[in-house]
Amino acid sequence: MSAAPAPIEGAAPAPLLVARGIEKRFDRTRALAGADAEFAAGEVHGLLGANGAGKSTLSRIIGGHLQRDRGSIVWRGAALTARNAREAISAGIAMVMQETSLAPDLSVLENVFLPELARPGRLRLGALRARAEGIFDSLGQRDALPLGEEVQRLSSAQRQLVEIAKALAVGAALIIFDEPTASLSPGEVERLFDVMARLRAAGHALVFVSHRLEEVFSITDRVTVLREGRTVARSVPTATLNQAELIRLMVGQELGGIYAARPAAGGGKVVLEARHLRAPPMVRDVSFALHEGEILGLAGLVGAGRSETLQTLFGLRPLAAGETLLDGRPFAPRHAAQAIRAGIGFVAEDRRGQSIIPDFSVRENLLLGHLSARRGFLLGYRARDRRIEELLRQLELPASRLLDANMLNFSGGMQQKIIIARWLLLEPRVLLLDEPTKGVDIGTRSAIYAMLREVAGKGTAVLVVSSDFEELLGLCGRVVVMSDGTSIAELPSAVLDEAKLTLFAAPRSSMAMTTGLLEALAQETGGAAFWALLDAGRVFCLSRVGGTGAADPGFGAGAAPAFEETHIPAALAAPAERFVLEPDGARATLLVRARSHRGHELGWIGLTVPGGAPPAPAPLAARVHEQFARAI
Amino acid sequence: MSQTLAQTFSIRRLGARLELRMLALALLVFVALSFASPYFLRTNNLLNLLDQSVVTGITAIGMTFVVLTGGIDLSVGSVLGFTGVLMGQTIHAGGWSAGFGLSVDLTIALGIAVAVLAGAAIGLFSGVLVARFGLASFVVTLGVMAIGRSLAYIVSGQNAIADIPPQINGLVYTSVFGVPSNVATLLVLYVLAWCYLTLTKGGRTIYAIGSNREAARTAGLAVLGYSILPYVLSGVTAAIAGVLLSAQILSIDPLAGTALELDAIAAVVIGGASLYGGRGSILGTLIGVLIMVMIRNGLNLLGVSPFWQGSAIGGIIIAAVLAERLLSTRVRA
Repeated sequence: MSAAPAPIEGAAPAPLLVARGIEKRFDRTRALAGADAEFAAGEVHGLLGANGAGKSTLSRIIGGHLQRDRGSIVWRGAALTARNAREAISAGIAMVMQETSLAPDLSVLENVFLPELARPGRLRLGALRARAEGIFDSLGQRDALPLGEEVQRLSSAQRQLVEIAKALAVGAALIIFDEPTASLSPGEVERLFDVMARLRAAGHALVFVSHRLEEVFSITDRVTVLREGRTVARSVPTATLNQAELIRLMVGQELGGIYAARPAAGGGKVVLEARHLRAPPMVRDVSFALHEGEILGLAGLVGAGRSETLQTLFGLRPLAAGETLLDGRPFAPRHAAQAIRAGIGFVAEDRRGQSIIPDFSVRENLLLGHLSARRGFLLGYRARDRRIEELLRQLELPASRLLDANMLNFSGGMQQKIIIARWLLLEPRVLLLDEPTKGVDIGTRSAIYAMLREVAGKGTAVLVVSSDFEELLGLCGRVVVMSDGTSIAELPSAVLDEAKLTLFAAPRSSMAMTTGLLEALAQETGGAAFWALLDAGRVFCLSRVGGTGAADPGFGAGAAPAFEETHIPAALAAPAERFVLEPDGARATLLVRARSHRGHELGWIGLTVPGGAPPAPAPLAARVHEQFARAI
Repeated sequence: MSQTLAQTFSIRRLGARLELRMLALALLVFVALSFASPYFLRTNNLLNLLDQSVVTGITAIGMTFVVLTGGIDLSVGSVLGFTGVLMGQTIHAGGWSAGFGLSVDLTIALGIAVAVLAGAAIGLFSGVLVARFGLASFVVTLGVMAIGRSLAYIVSGQNAIADIPPQINGLVYTSVFGVPSNVATLLVLYVLAWCYLTLTKGGRTIYAIGSNREAARTAGLAVLGYSILPYVLSGVTAAIAGVLLSAQILSIDPLAGTALELDAIAAVVIGGASLYGGRGSILGTLIGVLIMVMIRNGLNLLGVSPFWQGSAIGGIIIAAVLAERLLSTRVRA
């Protein structure tokens, strides 16, 4: 795989933008090493790659946020030299960023025309308002958001819409969407894809940066794949690829390679148990059990309260209610030092902001956890010398560089390994990690995975938060899913995949429509209504309303039992839009396919009623279809 | 500890450290002045140099602690004035003239204790406001500076307190291994401060806080306590400086210590500390103090108008900060 294959070429419509041989270095990390791309008008172009492949770097260079070291960009037939984002925007290239570039205190209208507000002359608010209405109208989002609302009150999906409108207001011909779906619920993703489809129809060139393959297949026309800073496939029509080929292009090796053997789920005795943790505003009700020697994943969207849960466990946030048990004994650290002394380590999400002491040598950075745990007046560094040597050998870090004053000279991956080693030095019983591979190149990622597996193998209980579901499923034996500050499922990874995790992790608030539908169905029929996925002989219940006794299907939200473990195996085995009576005659169940208006399958809506006289299925099914067909 | 020493004095790091460049500058100034003025190298003048370093030097110790955490303490001059006046009044009321029957030495000790405790209390007040309530240290200590000076006037009754017992002179003129005791005090305090900052958990925590407060907190260090401590130490060192000042001149004026904060900050900055925190050293501060005193002294000896001294010191401060910015390879986020 190491021999670089010639890029796969696809048929090309006349390109709007051509980037050739782009190179970019950050200190010692080579982010791009000769990347090529071509984007044409009237297409959605997927820009793909694993974490650290350089897709964000390339899009930021095209968008003017970063300067390339080498390479050329031709835009509408002329060389493009945008020195900053403003110049790129005036040339007609706009970016819709993950962290939005909006002014939170200004209104929607002001944000849309922010570039114009800077221009001299009188503002004609009436005219601007009319133009903004026109823009939102063209996106099919006429009444989606009030123009006078302050942007800070909007949801992330609405802010994204404002960003898109802002790009259109300056007449952008190329719009780059950088991981636009990272913090959206499935319904919001659908709406975004509608908007993108309209923009494509209007002749805009759209670049869609993502690593979620399902979305890539559902919205893009062609894809360009980056791997380790190089283009390995350029402008290949999406329709000619399948998922396995795409993964092979992105990763360059079989996935099994980097994730190796997945540790078994659970097994050892429970080390750390959380019971109904509550730490407002982000953590509402979180429960899980962490076993000795396992790697447990904590999945969820950005803003689901995962980081805050870790911080609460580590004593960095006060616990308002609920309890934590360490080795079966109540444990409520009021300071991080208490948690450390009890044998807990915590690798925070933001290396630069929350982990590294830039003025300390690598050695002292390594010893920072030791310093907190220590009770004496002096440093006691020497007692750790031998363990430090051991760790350095393990990290493949030459001891001669240990005295280097500046830790920021190391690559992000090495920095992360040093921060993890900071806790390994203390031989913790529990290790909490928040996005441990964020901004880490793919080579170091597998080294970090190996490190975590080894630590777990020695009996440490490891809890990993990650937004990269593929990583979680590859690394962890079990996964706890959080949504809106609540843990809603605790399942073995073996029965999950990325699509199921995405649905589980969707914010509960965005499911209001579904919940309303389930409530109505349960109330009218006196049965149990549920929303579930059916896959490989298991039912994955996303939510459930009502139903006791004879109407109990035998599973609740967050559970994933095998069909035969439920009360309704016959119905689940043969899903159909009619009531299926169980062989014992106790329950009858209706299952209706939930499909969005774009044809995306969103699982099944089920209704279990006591056997006997079930209601007529056709009107119920029609209601489900009608609800889901509306844009959710 | 040997590891730490080896680390501190490893050749690679020596070249990179700003205080060593400043030490070179100090030697340069020293040699230049030796040639420029025949009086400079005389023993008397050299002792005079150290003697002139005492008040600024001791105040600059506390200031170094504060600056290392990323703060600043503008109140040191007023604290010196106020605690000095407080000491004078305590001695006054405690027996010297009122005749409570306490021995003179005991009265003096009582006065010193009151001054130092008052300095600590004022520092605690500033420190809590800065660290616990998140107020800007510049603003808090600016306020304390005004309050301190006003209290100094009130407690002193607007007049200098001149009848301090001469026995207090012992704090200044006793010979310790051939060095006057005020200079010995200065040196001992510097050694203690160096040991604390280099060899103890608290000292390293103070550096960590200044370098990245959030990371220090996340790693479980006691950020609140060690953010307050530097202000307390700053109040204490200002009070000690005030004690030695009044012991030398046997009187204390409510105006004493005016503009002292500027000299103390200048010494810390010339010594290579970063005002953003996290970088600097107590050794550098001592060198900074010496450079300032030498230049003052040298210009006096050379007969340069004292009005030029401000320009000279100011120029060096700016050059030191510029050097730090240009030579620092680190990019601040």
